[in-house]
Amino acid sequence: MPHQCTNCGHTFADGSKEMLSGCPECGGNKFQFHPSEVPDDAPDDATEEPPERPDTGVPSAVGKAAATVRDLVRDDTPVSDDATSPDDETPQTADAPETAGGPSPGAPSADDGNRDPPDATPGQSTGTDSEPDDGGDDDAEDAAQASARSEMVTADDLPERPPSEGRVVKEPDADADEPDMEALREELNEQFESIKVLAPGQYELNLMELYDREEYIIALQENGRYVIEVPETFAGSERREE
Amino acid sequence: MGLFADLRDSISAVTAKLFAGESEDPKRIGIYGPPNAGKTTLANRIARDWTGDAVGPESHIPHETRRARRKENVEIERDGHTVSIDIVDTPGVTTKVDYEEFLDHDMEKDEAVRRSREATEGVAEAMHWLREDVDGVIYVLDSTTDPFTQVNTMLIGIIESRDLPVLILANKTDLEDSKVQRIRNAFPQHETIELSALEGENMDEVYDRIAEKFG
Ligand SMILES: Nc1nc2c(ncn2[C@@H]2O[C@H](COP(=O)(O)OP(=O)(O)OP(=O)(O)O)[C@@H](O)[C@H]2O)c(=O)[nH]1
Ligand SMILES: [Mg+2]
Repeated sequence: MPHQCTNCGHTFADGSKEMLSGCPECGGNKFQFHPSEVPDDAPDDATEEPPERPDTGVPSAVGKAAATVRDLVRDDTPVSDDATSPDDETPQTADAPETAGGPSPGAPSADDGNRDPPDATPGQSTGTDSEPDDGGDDDAEDAAQASARSEMVTADDLPERPPSEGRVVKEPDADADEPDMEALREELNEQFESIKVLAPGQYELNLMELYDREEYIIALQENGRYVIEVPETFAGSERREE
Repeated sequence: MGLFADLRDSISAVTAKLFAGESEDPKRIGIYGPPNAGKTTLANRIARDWTGDAVGPESHIPHETRRARRKENVEIERDGHTVSIDIVDTPGVTTKVDYEEFLDHDMEKDEAVRRSREATEGVAEAMHWLREDVDGVIYVLDSTTDPFTQVNTMLIGIIESRDLPVLILANKTDLEDSKVQRIRNAFPQHETIELSALEGENMDEVYDRIAEKFG
């Protein structure tokens, strides 16, 4: 339940569209983000389905996402060749719904340590020099976050699931009707938290996702929590998409 | 009656256009760029030159600006007409913030951690402004550093995707290892103007271009 109304405590699945029109309980428009309260029940990435986001270097993946998204934003005509870049790690746009079981964009399922350096950015010094593979904590956290993310996609259809149910990969037919740009764009963004707290005072930021959020982060706390504010223009106005 | 009012309105709208700056909404121009590029120094210079006030503190320690600050109705005069803009000095954008970076600057750990957290919130705020609230961008780069960074590529990409008018400023030309051409090469699709915001070098051209681009 990554988001909670700071006023009445009502919780929301992360990314819940409900939230964008204000809290249904009390009308509040401030919500706190709680990634750490996602049930931490994914024992080990390797044992089950491929994790949705092995800890590839975030900056590298973000760079790719940015490039792809930039193309998408600029050109909203249906998928064309240049949107499907030759880079084999970019998502296959044509059959996006089928990425559910397979490797997700930017996240090869075999996490054998082939982390591409940010290829478009020579001279940039923000490589991920942290996060050794041995620590289980980071991985578990990632898996939990991935779980939160995928949960969000199906949150509309599902009642709250008991924690023991574990991770759910995105349902193949969740949005199978049309793999449009918006869906792809969302899929890219869902891969990453907008702000990752590595340690108190140490943060990694996903600029693309920060840019894409309707809601606005107004206060960070340690442990990856933050308070966000839903813009007034969204609270109370009609849903953006039905 | 109604017709007359309409007519009067449209006449005054035309008049307002002729004397731009009086009643038109000023465009809101965001000053963006990586930490320490000289954004606040530039914002202060612009504000001092045309309003007499400053915008905010400058510092050699990165992430000095951690909240966006706005200066409204800055009226820049060029060739007899006035261009009115709001300038927004934004926190430097980065993909990684680490408090350890501040420890070198004689800062206690607590304070460094707090600065780091505020800086991160500041980046979130800057990105938020970029999404909703700016009509144009002045992108400031320190011309002594490599412009080919992920942050620059990503921000310029976003700015282009929104079709915002943008000027790229190659700052700190007073320094010996300033390399303006490197910036021109990095962003050939955009207009690059060199300047020293600190020394006030080449500000006339900067104002000309601002008036052209955002007027
Ligand atoms: N030599 C030289 N130094 C400059 C120039 N412009 C700014 N500086 C210095 O660069 C440092 C950073 O300047 P700021 O204006 O605070 O930079 P900023 O881009 O606002 O930085 P953040 O607020 O941290 O994002 C300060 O020490 C300034 O004095 C310039 O044209 N030449
Ligand atoms: Mg500043």
